[in-house]
Amino acid sequence: MLARRIYQFLIVYAVGLALLLGLKYLAGLSDYVIPGPPLIWQTFHEVYGRYTADTLNTFSVAVFGQVISIGLATGIGILGRQATWFGNFVKVAAYNVQAYPIVALAPIIFILLGDGFITRLVIAAMICYFPLLLVVLGVMGEPVTEIEHFYRITGRMRWQLEVKIRAFENLHKLTTVVAGSATLAMAGTIVAEFIAANAGIGYSIRIALYQSDLGKILIALFLIGICLSVYQALLEWAGAQVHRRWETIDGGAA
Amino acid sequence: MRPLGAVLTLTGISRYKNNKLMQISCDDIALALVGAETPIFAALNFNLKGPGFHALFGPSGVGKTTLARLLIGQMRPDSGGIRIDGCPRRLYAYNLERLPGWSSVGRHLEKITPASQRPRCAELAAAFGIEPVLGQRFARLSLGQKNRVNLIRYLVQDFELLIMDESLANVDERTRGRIITTIKTLFPDRFFLYISHNAIEVARFCRQVLVLRGAHREPQALTVPGLDGNGEAAPPPAMEKALLTIMNAI
Repeated sequence: MLARRIYQFLIVYAVGLALLLGLKYLAGLSDYVIPGPPLIWQTFHEVYGRYTADTLNTFSVAVFGQVISIGLATGIGILGRQATWFGNFVKVAAYNVQAYPIVALAPIIFILLGDGFITRLVIAAMICYFPLLLVVLGVMGEPVTEIEHFYRITGRMRWQLEVKIRAFENLHKLTTVVAGSATLAMAGTIVAEFIAANAGIGYSIRIALYQSDLGKILIALFLIGICLSVYQALLEWAGAQVHRRWETIDGGAA
Repeated sequence: MRPLGAVLTLTGISRYKNNKLMQISCDDIALALVGAETPIFAALNFNLKGPGFHALFGPSGVGKTTLARLLIGQMRPDSGGIRIDGCPRRLYAYNLERLPGWSSVGRHLEKITPASQRPRCAELAAAFGIEPVLGQRFARLSLGQKNRVNLIRYLVQDFELLIMDESLANVDERTRGRIITTIKTLFPDRFFLYISHNAIEVARFCRQVLVLRGAHREPQALTVPGLDGNGEAAPPPAMEKALLTIMNAI
C-alpha cells in the first residue's frame, strides 16, 4: 500500500518535471525561469533539511486539523441524520455553508486570529471539514432498512446502534473519505501558510515565489507529495485494519 | 412463555388475555400509492379470526406487502378502518432482512433473545436446521439459511401477531413443512399471517387463506378455508378441493 502510493506519486512528479524541462528546452528558457536538473539538484542539497522540517511542521498542523474536522463532521452528521426539523435544518445549513469557499474567508480569520498556529489549524480544519461532513451526513442520513427494521419493530433501536449500523455498512466509504481528506487538510494548511502565516512549507513556498526560485518550489512540492503519500497510505492501512477488526471480532451492541 | 390468559374454545375462535378476541378486520380500506395510476386497494373488506397459522395469498403486485405494512401501522390507508383485537404486540418479518455484519449469527441471536426465551431459541435453531451455522457471519449463509435465522429472531420476541412476508423463501419444501409444523406446535396461541406464493403450502398448512384479488375485483379479498395440517400427508381429495378453492378465488 505504502510502496504503491509512493511510486504513484513519483511517477506523477517525474512526468510533471519532465514536462517542465521539456518546455524549458523546447522554448529555450533560461535557468532563471525553469532551472535545469543540475541546479534543481544543487537547490535540493541546500534546502532539503529546512524544507523537510517545514513540511513536517505543516503536516502536524494538517493532521491536527483533520482530527478536529473528523470529530466535528461526525458530531454534526449524527445530529443531522434524523428526519426531524432539526436534522433537516442541520443538513440544509451544512449544504449551504459548504458552498462558500473557505479560502475566501481566510483573510477574515487572519484578521481576527492573527497569523499563528491557531489560524493555520482553523483553516486546515475548515477546508477538509465540509467534504467529510457531506459524506458523513449522507451515510448517517440513509437508513439501512433491511437491518434496522428488526430493531425498530421490536423497540430495540437506540441512536448509538443506528449510528453503528450505518457506519459499519458504509465503512469503506468513510475510510476512503478520511484518507482523501488528508490531502485537503494539507492543502488547507499550505494555503493558510501561503496567505499570511510565518511558518510551514506554505510560508517557504511564498518566500521562494518572491525570489522567483522555481527550484525551491519543486523541492517543496516533492517533499509535500512524499509526506502526503506516506500519510494516506497510513490512513488506508488503518481503515483496512478497522474493517478487518470489525469483521472478525465476535461482539458488539446487538 | 405462553400467556396465562390464552384459551382456545368458543366455536373455534380464541380469546386471548383479558378475554379479548384475536382478530383482524379491515373495513372498506382504500389506498393509492404515490405515483400509481390505479389504487392498490379500492374497498378492501375482510375479517380474520385468530389465533393460528393463516395465509395471505395472491398474485405478485396485488398488495400483500402493502397490506402487511398497513396492519403493523407502517402505512395508513387513504380511507377505511383497520381493527386488530387481542394483538397489542405485532411484528412483521420479511425475507430481505439482514443481520449486522459485526458478529456471528449465534452471538446476534444470543444478544437479541430475552433470557426467558433462550431455551426456545436453541430449540428453534435445532428444528430449523441452523445449528451448524451459528458460528458464521450472516453474509456467508445461503439465502434459505438467512431467512430461517431471521425468522427465529422474531419468534423469540414477545408478540401476539407475526406477519411472515415470504419468510421461508429459498428454503426447500421439506424443511419449510417442518418449520411451519414446528411453529404451529410451539406457538398455538399466537396469530400468524404467512405471505406466500405457494398455493400447495398455504392450502396444506393454513387455517384460513386470505386471497387478495386486486383492486379491480369485487370483492377484493376472499377468505377461504385451508386444511390446517400439521405435517401429515393430506388426503388427496381434500387437498385438491382446498387448492381448487384457493385458485378459483384468485
